[in-house]
Amino acid sequence: MSSAVALHGRQLSWLRVKAVSRRHYYVLLRAPHRLFDVTIWPLVDVLLFGSIAAFVNPGHATAGRLAAGYLLSGILLWHVVYQSQIALATGFLEEAWTRNLLNLMVTPMREVEYVAGVMMFGMVKLFMGLTVVTLTALGFFAFNVTDLGIGLVPVAAVLLVVGWVIALFVIALVLRFGTGAEALAWGILFVVMPLSGVFYPIAALPWILRPVAEALPSTHAFIAGRALFDGRGVLWGELGIALLGCVVGGAIVLTFLTRMLSTFRTRGYISRYT
Amino acid sequence: MDEVVRASALTKRFGDVTAVDGIDLVVRAGERVALLGPNGAGKTTTLLMLLGVVAPDNGWIEVAGHRLPKGRSAAMSEVGFAAGYLPLPERLKVDEYLRFYGQLYGLPDPDVEAALDRFGVAHLARARGTDLSSGQRTLVGIVKAVLHEPRLLVLDEPTASLDPDVALRVRSGLQALCRDAGTTLLVTSHNMVEVERMCDRVVFIASGRIVADGTPADVAASFGGADLESVFLRLAAQDLPEHPFERGQETERPA
Repeated sequence: MSSAVALHGRQLSWLRVKAVSRRHYYVLLRAPHRLFDVTIWPLVDVLLFGSIAAFVNPGHATAGRLAAGYLLSGILLWHVVYQSQIALATGFLEEAWTRNLLNLMVTPMREVEYVAGVMMFGMVKLFMGLTVVTLTALGFFAFNVTDLGIGLVPVAAVLLVVGWVIALFVIALVLRFGTGAEALAWGILFVVMPLSGVFYPIAALPWILRPVAEALPSTHAFIAGRALFDGRGVLWGELGIALLGCVVGGAIVLTFLTRMLSTFRTRGYISRYT
Repeated sequence: MDEVVRASALTKRFGDVTAVDGIDLVVRAGERVALLGPNGAGKTTTLLMLLGVVAPDNGWIEVAGHRLPKGRSAAMSEVGFAAGYLPLPERLKVDEYLRFYGQLYGLPDPDVEAALDRFGVAHLARARGTDLSSGQRTLVGIVKAVLHEPRLLVLDEPTASLDPDVALRVRSGLQALCRDAGTTLLVTSHNMVEVERMCDRVVFIASGRIVADGTPADVAASFGGADLESVFLRLAAQDLPEHPFERGQETERPA
């Protein structure tokens, strides 16, 4: 691969992207507690929701079987959002925690190169997390992810983008409000999760929340995910809506992020990290 | 002579405090310039604006011929920066840290050992950031800043945490770099003796304005003092406002 690729008429340095990825590999290597996000939490989540599934599915009745399948396929797909979001958001927070932001900001590295580097290593963490989820679901609950078919790939791809968009939103808030906003790195997922209908159709939500749920791209991706479990194939219409939502949401978040970065520079918020 | 830094009418306010008030600054290639002034004078704010990290409210900046903020990336590829108050990321070993930054500056395989050796700290290559003393961290930070042999080296309080012996080694290393590679030096310091030894030009800032600019001897003479120390003490005695970028302060000032 060449050392640089064109991006909107500018050069994106592959060398810098790789360097950022390697830097975050060292962080994972040297901070064992970071492994919790990619090993322990996926394991705990599958145990929790798998056990609930086993509880509601004692007689293999249709409703019970459905609920159990929704729980396990839901938690699997949820971890795509979770891992991609956490990897990017905590990757940036690591620079804030270690007061490394000033050093990074005075290099020739562009913001897009930094984000691409963290995302790239985030994909490795995502793979690790999903491996744990998949093997735990198979080993403990005989839930075989591959039964969902190849249609899982586009659903997971859309959820990956959802995770990144949420993470960029969190980064924008941290730039604006400082590390006090870091609780959102995890907390925001607890808001998105129930509204996205990860384990149930959004008709189960209180009526007042349904329009909000409808507006989230993740909701439509999870609808497509449940359809895979039901054997209804890939719902390209739902995936299209989800993708469109990602594009619109992504554009809004990128605009917000750019604005917050400008505010960061204008108000001299780097003083928080020196 | 080439101008490495050109800044005109630089102004920065934080709320009611004017940290930098219409500074004009030109630094030519090969100069060794010290920005001096009491706490709150506006030195660090000026440096951070020159580095593109803080946006000026007014005025413009060119670094290595690139106008900020548009040409920030190109400009920063010609600049090295270190500050005595910045830690090393604790999850990295020294050689990993230097290789990482070298690659950010476009060096696929930077000669980390030679760079460390220049400052006599090659033995620290496999140490972790958390294992280093503050002086060692400062040294490694400076090694990071010069790894890509920048045209302009910007140092904020580089020897603040160093004992005299290490400070001497840093001074010698920097002087050799400036002499051999023609690197331009822009440094802030509270150590007037060090500045007199290392720099051929001093720019005194007080209350966000340049109040003196010239050789150390000329500036001292213009204030009627025998040396820079007496000029500094005279300026520091004035009642000056604090602002958020002084070293050691982590408070923010709302805009």
